[in-house]
Amino acid sequence: MNSVIQALLIGSRATIANVRANVQTFLISVMTIAISIGILGLFLIIFFNLNGFLASWNQQVQLIVYLQDDISRAQKGNLEDLFKTNSRVQSTEEVTKDQAWQEFRLSQAEKSGLELDLGFNPLPGSYRVRFKMSDNRLLHISKFAGKIQSEPGVESVEYGKSWVSRFEKFMVFCRVFLMATGALLSFGLILIISNTIRLSIYSRQDEIELMLLIGATPQFVKIPFLLEGMLQGLSGSLLSLGLMEIIYYYLRNEFQTSIESIARGMGFQFIPEPFLLILVGSSVLIGLVASYISTYQYMQVLNRR
Amino acid sequence: MIQLFNVIKKYGSGSPALDDISLRIEKGEFVFLTGPSGAGKTTILKILSGWEHFEEGQVLVQGINVGKLNAGNMHTLRRSIGVIFQDYKLLANKTAFENVAFAQEVTNRNRKTIKFKTWEALKNVGLTSKKDSFPPQLSGGEQQRVAIARAMVNAPPIILADEPTGNLDQEISLEILKLLEELNRNGATIVFATHSQDILKLGNHRVVVLNRGKVISS
Ligand SMILES: Nc1ncnc2c1ncn2[C@@H]1O[C@H](COP(=O)(O)OP(=O)(O)OP(=O)(O)O)[C@@H](O)[C@H]1O
Ligand SMILES: [Mg+2]
Repeated sequence: MNSVIQALLIGSRATIANVRANVQTFLISVMTIAISIGILGLFLIIFFNLNGFLASWNQQVQLIVYLQDDISRAQKGNLEDLFKTNSRVQSTEEVTKDQAWQEFRLSQAEKSGLELDLGFNPLPGSYRVRFKMSDNRLLHISKFAGKIQSEPGVESVEYGKSWVSRFEKFMVFCRVFLMATGALLSFGLILIISNTIRLSIYSRQDEIELMLLIGATPQFVKIPFLLEGMLQGLSGSLLSLGLMEIIYYYLRNEFQTSIESIARGMGFQFIPEPFLLILVGSSVLIGLVASYISTYQYMQVLNRR
Repeated sequence: MIQLFNVIKKYGSGSPALDDISLRIEKGEFVFLTGPSGAGKTTILKILSGWEHFEEGQVLVQGINVGKLNAGNMHTLRRSIGVIFQDYKLLANKTAFENVAFAQEVTNRNRKTIKFKTWEALKNVGLTSKKDSFPPQLSGGEQQRVAIARAMVNAPPIILADEPTGNLDQEISLEILKLLEELNRNGATIVFATHSQDILKLGNHRVVVLNRGKVISS
C-alpha cells in the first residue's frame, strides 16, 4: 500500500513536470475535451428542458366525462365509486350543468361583450378527472376512458384521443432520438479525447523510450500519463461546465421574464447536479481509459522489437 | 560478467547483423569493441541492454538471462547498465542537470540524493557551469559529456558506451577515455565501441574486432 502511495506521489510530481514541459499540448487536449464536453452539455440542457416541457404538457391531459341530462343519483354514485376505486386517479371535480353554463357565458361575455341568453341550458354536466403522474399515464387514461364510456348515464368521454396518441408517439420519438444522439455523441467524445491524448503521448515518444532504456518500470512510465489523462479530463470538463453555467445564469437573468410570458410556469433549467457529476466523472474516466490504451499500445510496439 | 553464446541476430531477411557471436567479458574488464561501420557493434550493445531481441543463442549479463526478460522485469537488467548512446538521446526540453537527474528519478531515489549525485556527476565530466543549458545550446562534446554523466550517475556495474568519442576532437576524446578508465578503476565493467584507431592506441585494453557480424579477433 505504501509503495502504491509512493508511486502515485512520484507520479504526480512527474505529471506536473510533464505538464509544465508540454504546456501547449496539454492545453490543446484540455480545450478539445472542454469543447466536446461542452457539446454534450449543451445537448443535455436541451434534453432536460424539452423533457421538462413535455412532462408539464403531459400533466395537463385530463379526462372529461360528460353526463346525460337524465342521469340518476345511483348512476352518479356508481361513477364516483369507479373514480375512487381507481388508484391512478388523483382527483375528480364535478361540474354541474349550471356551472358549465355559467363558465361558458362568462368566457363568452369576455370575448364578445354580449350577454348570451338562450332561455335554456344546452350544456351537459361533467366530471373532470385528473390522473396521477406515472410512466404510462396516457395509456391508463385511454383505458379508463373506454371503460367509463359504456357506463349508464354517461353521454360521452373526452381526452383528446387522437391528440393524445400523437403526443405519445412524439414523446417516444423524442426520447429515443435524444438517447441515440447522446450515445453517438458520447462515443465520438471518447474517440476525440483518446486521440488527443494519444497525440500528446506520441509527442513524447523519445521520453518514454529513454525512460524504459534507463531502467524505468512500465508502471513508472504509465502512471504520469494516466494521471495526466485524468487531469486533462477533469480540467476540460470543469472548464466547459463552469463556462456553461455562467452563460446559463447570465441568459436566465436576461431573458427569464420573456420566457415566462411565452410559456407560463416554465423556467429554463440547467443540467441537474447528478448529471453534472456524471459528466465530470466520465470525462475523467475517459481521460484515464484513453491514456491507458494509448500508453499500452505504444509500449507494446516498443516491446515487440 | 557478460557472456554471449552463439548469438544470431537478423534484421529482416538479409545477411545477419550478428552471425554466431560468442564472447566473454569479465567483471571489471575494459573492452574495446571495434570494426568497420555496419560490423555489428551497436547491435551487440543493444542486445546486451535488452533493446533488441535476437533469434538464436544465449546472453547472460550479471547472471540475468537476457532472452528470457519481458516488459515487466526488463528494468532489472537495465538498472545494472549505464548506456552512452551513439546519438546521445538527451531530452531537448530538459536542462543538462534535469537530463542527468532524470536517470535517477526513474529508479525512485529521494530528491536530496538526486540533487547531490547529479551535481557530482556533472562535476566529474566538467560541466557544472552548463548545468542549466538545454542540449541544443550545447556543443557535441558537451552533449556527449552530459550523456556520460547520465550513464554513470547511478554507479552501474556495467557501462556500455557506443562511440562516445564519435564526433569529438582528439583532446576531448582523450578526456572522455580517461573518464571511463576512472570508472573502470572504481570497479565498473566497460564495453567501449569505437572505430577510431587513435582511441584504441591511446587506451591499452583488450580489443574485440568485429566484421560483418563475426568476431575476427578477441
Ligand atoms: N534497425 C535496423 N534495421 C535494419 N537493419 C539494421 C538496423 N540496425 C542495424 N542494422 C544493420 O545491421 C548491421 C549492423 O549495424 P550496427 O549498427 O550494429 O553497426 P555498427 O557496427 O554499430 O556500425 P557504425 O560503426 O556505423 O555505428 C548493419 O548492416 C545495419 O545496416
Ligand atoms: Mg554503431
